[in-house]
Amino acid sequence: MQHVFKLGEHEYQVALSRARQGYRLHLGERSIPVNLHREDDGSARLTVNGVSERVHLAVRGDEVFVHLDGASHTLRYVHPLVRLARQRHAAAEDEIRAPMPGSVVALAVQAGQSVTQGQTLLVMESMKMETTIIAPRDGVVEAVQVDQGQTFDRDALLLTLAPEKTA
Amino acid sequence: MNLKLSHWPFDTVLVANRGEIALRVLRTVKKLGLKGAVVYHALDRHAPAVRLADRAIEITGATPVAAYLDGAQIIAAAQSCVAGDRTVAIHPGYGFLSENAAFARAVEAAGLIFVGPRPEQIERMGDKVRARGFVHQAGFPVAPSAVEDDDPPTFVARARAVGAPLLIKPSAGGGGKGMRIVRDLARLESEIERARSEASRSFGDGRLYVERYVENPRHIEVQVLGDAHGHVLHLYERECSVQRRFQKIVEETPSPALTPALRAKICETAAGIARSIGYRNAGTVEFIFGQGGEFYFLEMNTRLQVEHPVTEQITGLDLVAEQLRVAAGEELGYAQADLATRGHAIELRLYAEDPARGYAPTTGPILRLIPPQGEGVRWDGGVAEGGEVTAAFDPMLAKLIVHADDRAQAIARARRALAETVLLGCKTNAAFLGRLLRHPAFERGEIHTGFLDAHPEIAAEPPLAEATVHKLLAAAALSTRPLRDVADAVPDLYAALGAWRN
Repeated sequence: MQHVFKLGEHEYQVALSRARQGYRLHLGERSIPVNLHREDDGSARLTVNGVSERVHLAVRGDEVFVHLDGASHTLRYVHPLVRLARQRHAAAEDEIRAPMPGSVVALAVQAGQSVTQGQTLLVMESMKMETTIIAPRDGVVEAVQVDQGQTFDRDALLLTLAPEKTA
Repeated sequence: MNLKLSHWPFDTVLVANRGEIALRVLRTVKKLGLKGAVVYHALDRHAPAVRLADRAIEITGATPVAAYLDGAQIIAAAQSCVAGDRTVAIHPGYGFLSENAAFARAVEAAGLIFVGPRPEQIERMGDKVRARGFVHQAGFPVAPSAVEDDDPPTFVARARAVGAPLLIKPSAGGGGKGMRIVRDLARLESEIERARSEASRSFGDGRLYVERYVENPRHIEVQVLGDAHGHVLHLYERECSVQRRFQKIVEETPSPALTPALRAKICETAAGIARSIGYRNAGTVEFIFGQGGEFYFLEMNTRLQVEHPVTEQITGLDLVAEQLRVAAGEELGYAQADLATRGHAIELRLYAEDPARGYAPTTGPILRLIPPQGEGVRWDGGVAEGGEVTAAFDPMLAKLIVHADDRAQAIARARRALAETVLLGCKTNAAFLGRLLRHPAFERGEIHTGFLDAHPEIAAEPPLAEATVHKLLAAAALSTRPLRDVADAVPDLYAALGAWRN
């Protein structure tokens, strides 16, 4: 069975199988002998192609955090159901999400209002700078999910546009 | 430190701050044998500073930041710590109420001690416009400028007369908020309006001033220290030129830009400015330093700076202990000639942010945290494993400070310490700092405040080597239940057979 990890902007299809010693990582045409041995101090010994090194690992939800060779990396396990849903539903433009954590400085629109592409929807503050969130297309504001002054995390839903009618 | 505990007019120091600085102040307070108290918002309930404090008092507010800005609540908390015949001192840290003269005054009026300058000194230096006017009159160098308040109707015309490039700044501002560079005077008026909007919102005060912008300047500042008896010394300079959005990322001392003669000149100028107001407490005089060696007074910060540890490393002084001694009415007890420096120190600010995405802040849990250790390595952190980085506060997580015999060794030590630092769960700027430390221009000390804009390759994330990708995928696959469960469900015999295919 193929699984998908997202690393940076890339997605990788991988599978894992047992080997006589440890496991094999299947990546495209390659099959790489791998193993992971947890140490008592919370670190782990990662073996790839017969070479071992110390890593630190943490897992939360679908995210795997790896400290390897002096640098930290984040991989996201893309659940098969999510991949399926993503292929069927391509309405991301209806959802206006926060490009970064911040707070709402000003709301420029309200639910039911018609907007044109490029129109200011709200002004947010982050990094001590104002950022303007604009309408990605013409449409009608379906709902405003945030209040003035509210703080939010990255990718938080700020506004939704009513789905476009198919002509 | 020769002070006996019985000599202190206060037996408790309450820290009106959070994060790494609250922890750092409390460490010195406890080292001196005093009791440490801290106020905290519920979001910081499990913070290391709250755990270290002898007493922690919860404060509330409309927002978490508002709680730490609520002077009346903090004074009430300090008063609740008064027991016996000695009073309580309030250390404001940096940010929040540290440069609020009304707060300093209210603290003194409540019979408590403010660990800082006199309120009128905060006022004189806190208003940047008045400060530069005063410094100019006292005979020290300031950049050409136009101040809106001098005559508001002619402000735009006077700003235009200063000439491009210009820097627009809020009169009541700080930390880079509302600051804008104008290179094209046609955009002057629209940029002024935008700066005014940001200033009004951030500081409740939309007044502005403009000054000549020095291209590719260095930011060099000088640590000063004064007591209540008229003694003012300097503790040498710090160079803080590596900045993003006017906020410092890396600070070091000595500055690689200064000759001994220039160092003496800029340090003496700073001490002279502080002396001219009879400055009490630790403070910092900031200068814009041009490529030709010219320098102008920028502002004076009347508090402890984020980057004070590099000064501590090369002078051997504990600046918080010095602040507390001064607040207790002690004399400094040493002269300028007694202050020697040793080696080179560098501070790296570890931020919860993504440099490759325009330094956008990041949030997340701290799942694993292993600070670096070893000789010449200092970690001033305010977060702990199990904590959470939220959007509610400043994104600085910790400061990594290294000290070595010279700059090259300090850079090498910083690289090693950074690579040893494990922080998992929240994206940080650690890899970016590593690239910065390896950049040839940084190694040569050729830095200025536009350095990161001039070298965007430092912020960009380079592609990973194929072997690294394989290792990461292996580590992730072996740590993810669905993959491991599927693999383990296949009996070994079939696994062995399956291997034939390859």
